[in-house]
Formats: sequence, structure tokens, C-alpha cells
Amino acid sequence: MAHCERASKPLLQCLQRTCTKGLPSLQVQSARTFQTTALAREEAQTEAKTQSFYKSPDPSLVSSPRLERRMLRQGISPIGSRRRRAALQDSANIPFEQLPYQCFQEARKVLLGDREEKLKQISTMSEKISRLEAVPTEEAGGEQAKKSKLRAMELHLDHLKILADSNDPLVKKKFEDGQGDMSKPIYRFLADRKWREYRRKILVQRITQMNVVPDVLPHCEPVVDTKLYFGRNAIQLGEFVNASASAMVPKLDIQLFDRDEKLVTIAVVDPDVPNVEKDGFDYKMHYLAVNVPISATSTKVDLSKLSTESQEILPWLPPVAQKGSPYHRLSLFILEQKDSKPLDFAAVKAKETDRDNTLLRTLQARYHLKPIGAHLFRTKWDETTEEVMRQIGFPEADMELRRKRVEPLPYKRRNPSTFR
Amino acid sequence: MLQPRLLAPLRVLERALVPVFRSSQQPLSSPSIFFPRTLSAPTTTSLLNKRFPSLSQVRYASHASQGTANRHSRDPAGKRLGAKRAGGEYVVPGCIIFRQRGTKWFAGENCAMGRDHTIYAAEAGYVRYYLDPEQHSDRKYIGIVFEKEGKLPAPRNAPSRRRLNRVAVPRAPVVPETDAAQSDLVANLEDGTMVSSVEAVNADTGAQLRPGYMYREANWQIGRAGDKAGITAIPYNRNNRWLAWRKRQARADRAAQMKSLKNKKKASKKAKGGR
Repeated sequence: MAHCERASKPLLQCLQRTCTKGLPSLQVQSARTFQTTALAREEAQTEAKTQSFYKSPDPSLVSSPRLERRMLRQGISPIGSRRRRAALQDSANIPFEQLPYQCFQEARKVLLGDREEKLKQISTMSEKISRLEAVPTEEAGGEQAKKSKLRAMELHLDHLKILADSNDPLVKKKFEDGQGDMSKPIYRFLADRKWREYRRKILVQRITQMNVVPDVLPHCEPVVDTKLYFGRNAIQLGEFVNASASAMVPKLDIQLFDRDEKLVTIAVVDPDVPNVEKDGFDYKMHYLAVNVPISATSTKVDLSKLSTESQEILPWLPPVAQKGSPYHRLSLFILEQKDSKPLDFAAVKAKETDRDNTLLRTLQARYHLKPIGAHLFRTKWDETTEEVMRQIGFPEADMELRRKRVEPLPYKRRNPSTFR
Repeated sequence: MLQPRLLAPLRVLERALVPVFRSSQQPLSSPSIFFPRTLSAPTTTSLLNKRFPSLSQVRYASHASQGTANRHSRDPAGKRLGAKRAGGEYVVPGCIIFRQRGTKWFAGENCAMGRDHTIYAAEAGYVRYYLDPEQHSDRKYIGIVFEKEGKLPAPRNAPSRRRLNRVAVPRAPVVPETDAAQSDLVANLEDGTMVSSVEAVNADTGAQLRPGYMYREANWQIGRAGDKAGITAIPYNRNNRWLAWRKRQARADRAAQMKSLKNKKKASKKAKGGR
């Protein structure tokens, strides 16, 4: 028996005994709700299932790790936490309103009362907003004042909407099951909080520890969750990726937590291109696309499917690292365009033709971009690099880098008379 | 002089002695006269000294103390800590800049800290001693800049200055490993090479003169003896708990046996000692 099953046992025992037959039995047995004798358990078991659970496990009920693994291999991911699935296995799925706990129901009433209150506040707030919108600008105290007032009120309205739903157990359940509707503020809020709890911290740590932030861009405060895929493989932040894997164009999953749709520029920059003459490093732009629309609901961006006429400026160049060169950091940045206005594609395309000497800092200043998301992976020389170099026609494919010998300092005897 | 902290126990002592005095000195009838509240210390001590001569002989550190004439002989030798390179001096990678106990200084840009907190250079350049309040409020750093006039700390958001320190050479083709490379301790020698008056022979065949002046097979050939004989070990199966139990039991038995032997030895020794 798994730990989760053991943990949910006391709750389940009660549920099983009262509600094995679902709702009708609940109504019949309401007089003896908390009895400990089993009533209809055996009856329920006699109902022969058409097919064994082990043959075709239900993703919302499976709780044993072995079955979970089997399902994952089939490409179905189990729903919710294992503890929850284990709890669901043996309970008839009774709605919250009909659960037989008095205290629970009383608590629900309190929460529902709070929600009613919040809904009232929401309606008054939206009325206020519409009233203010109707007022002419001169009376409201000027353009700027009206705008800022409206903005503050809208923010407050959003906050109220979150508060109204935040105590709803159904909302929590839906979010945990991954069925949250990202067009609603509460699910965006929950997703944002979850992202900030772990994934964002990791992202910020990686981009600062690996010095991507001062090397490629001066600042980055990520506000969107970015995932990077080569084929079906999700790439962890800073992972070493084989040259053959990164030869194909990556796919992105950019989760926005704002309501508005945004137009973004996507750039992939390698700040570690070795330059032997300079005895230093160069930058290389591996990908550049502008005017990519993202929103909270449409998150998938396939870099290979962006239109070459209106979005893609520099197509994907597979990253390769020469043998002996230090690892290359391939940093991907999502940059928000100013006021979400589209850039002039033709002009940008005409201007940004050089991959080698384009700094992302320059682009940021030139087009007024603001970094809102980042991702990072690394490449180094591996056995597949040579093949990829041949495919892309890498000029120095047959050269490798060796450590330069540093001349030691000449031996200098200091003031020998004091040594004796 | 008797210090006041010694007075309290003395008072206790006096209280205990009162009946004795009473019985011995009849004319002084009341104890309040004999021990007035403002008891002067010298009288008490002088009185007590007659009875307990050892009590007042306490020596304090304020008086001149003996010994320690050769104190400096106990001082350890200097460990030659401190700066080995001044600010602005040119250093190469590995050059020690500062020796210290603990981290008086931290390794800044292009420097590294060794096992005993020694700061050494990781790049060739000029030494800088500096503070970096943006990174840490009260740490002192030692860093290396590439230019003679370079400055540290670098601005927070400036791209880091790095050196490649590498040269491009034609890539050597990867040679696949051959069987000949596996033979150990035997060089492929031409005929007629002498190893201390014994002729060395080619590695490939059978027993030969090996180091230690033994005619035997190479180690790797000995290691393959099992393969040649076709002996295969049962692959380890971690689910075979029966085998695991037997092995564990055997080990426990063996341990118990050894322990009992040890105890016997001890017991016999003891018995001998007793006789």
C-alpha cells in the first residue's frame, strides 16, 4: 500500500461505508451517516467490471507507480496528485455540497457568504468604472488623471475577481487537474503563483549564475513562463543539448499571465563564439523573429512555423561548438515590443542581416524592446557535432582549439642580502 | 591581604567555631562582643591563623609570578602569510597573490581560492585589491584585470570581460583503440632488446619475461582466464531475496564465530593471569 493510500484511509473508510452506492444510498442512509459498519461494500464488489482496471487504468484514478509509469509510456499523464487519485479510487465521486460533514458544510457556507460579498463589490466596481468612462475628460481632471484612475480601478477589479474565486474548492481542483481556463483571472493568478514559487526562481538563478544577464542583456525580470522543446524533449534550463538534437528548430511554450495579448520579439543569442585573433569571444544571433503574438490562452510558438514574410528575420542556425572551445550558452530571450505595436518587418529585415555582430543590447535600444522571458541551454563538442558542422557548412570544422601556453614569470631573487 | 570573597566562607567557619570559643574562654560571655558586626579582617585572620595556618596562604596574579622566562620559545614560527603580489603587479595563471588563514580576502574576477584559502591568479593580468559593495557589503576582493589601467569592480551590468586563451590547430583524427593497446606493462620491443641481461620478447605470445623477472602471462590475459574456460557467473538478481538471505546469514555466522574466538582468547588470557 502506498503512503498516500494509507494517509487517505481514515477519510475513505467513512466515505466507503456511507456512499458506496452513490447518491441514492446517501439519501437512504442519511440517518446512519457515521456508522462504522460496512453496509453495501460487498454489494458493490459483486458488480462485475467489464474490464480489469490493470488492463486499462483510468488516468484520474491510477495510484500505483508501476501503472503510472505504464500510462506515461503510452503517452497519457495521470491527473492530479497521487494522493488525490488514491482518495478518488475508493470514493464515490460525491459533489462537495452533498458531503456528509457538518463542519465542512458550515465552513462552506462562510466561504459562500464571502464570495457573495465579493461579487457585490465587483458589480459596484464595474459600475463605477463605466460611470467614470462616461464622464468627459475635462470634468475628470485631465487625460492623465482619468487614465491612471481607470487603470487603478481595473486593477482593483481584477484583484476582487481573484478574491471572489480564490476560496472555491472546485477552482482549486480544476487548477490542480490542469483544466484551468487561463482566460479567467483566478487561474492566471494561481498559475503565476505556482510559477513564481519554483520555476521562476530556477530561471533567475541560472541566468545570473551563468552570467547570461550581464553578458547578453543588462537586465531581465522574467514575467512569462517559457519552456523550450526540441522535438518532444523539454529542455531543462542550462542543459547540455546534443548538436544533432539542437539542429532541428525548437518549439516554445510561452505562458503569459496577463490578460492582454502581446507582440513579442524572440531572439536566440550565443555570447560564446571563440575568436582566436581577438583572444576573446564574439556574439552570434542564432534566431530572430519579430511580431510574434502571445496571449494567456495561446501559448505554443513553433519557431519553424513562423511566417517568413512577416515574422522570421533570421532563420534557425543550428548551434555548434568547436572542439576544445568552452561551452556555448545559447540564451533565448522573449522581448516585449513597445505598446504591443508591430514592428515594420521589411525595415527590420533589411537592417538586421548580419548574424555575427548584432548585439541584443543594440536591438533592444533600437526597437524599444523589454525582456519579459528567457530560456537557456548549452552546447559543447560531442560526437554528432562534426556531422552538423558539415551540414551547415561551418568554416572551421577541421580546426580544434588548444590551450595556449602561458609564459612563466622570470625568476627574480628579491634582496638576497636579507635572506642570510 | 585577604580578599572579601574569602570572608563569607570564613564567617560560616566562625559561626561553627562559636560554641568552641564559648566553652574555652569564659570571661567573654556574649558572642556579639567577640564577633562584632564590623569585624575587622586582620583580627579574624590572625585568630584563625593560629588554628588553621594553611588558610591565608593564597597567592594572586597581581604579585610577581615566577617562570615564563623562555616564553618566546613556545611561540610558533611565522607562517609567512600575507600579500605576495602588490596591487598592479603582473601575474600569470597559478601565481599566488595572497596567503591567509581564513578568508580575509575573497577571490574576485579572474582569481580563485585554493584549499587553504590562498588567492591565486586564474588569468594573466594585473592585480587589483578592491571592494564590491554591490556584490557583498563587507568583503574585500582580489581580482585581475587584463589592462594595466583596468578598474575593478566592473559595472554590474557590463558584459564580463573574458579571454579565450586558446589557439586553433588542425583537429587530430580520432584513432580507434586496438587490441595491442590493451597489453599492460609490456612494450612492443624489437628483437634483441635486453632487459637487464635478459632478452625481452614480443608481447603477443604466452608466458614471457615480465617485470619482477618472472616468466608469466600478461595481467590482462590472466584476467581473461575465466572467459577462456567458459566460466560464467550467475548474474546478480536483486530480487532474489533467498540468496541474499543466505549470504547475509553466512556473513553473520562468520562474524559470530570470529567474535566467539576472540572472546575465548581473552578469557584464556585472563584465566592465565589469574593463575
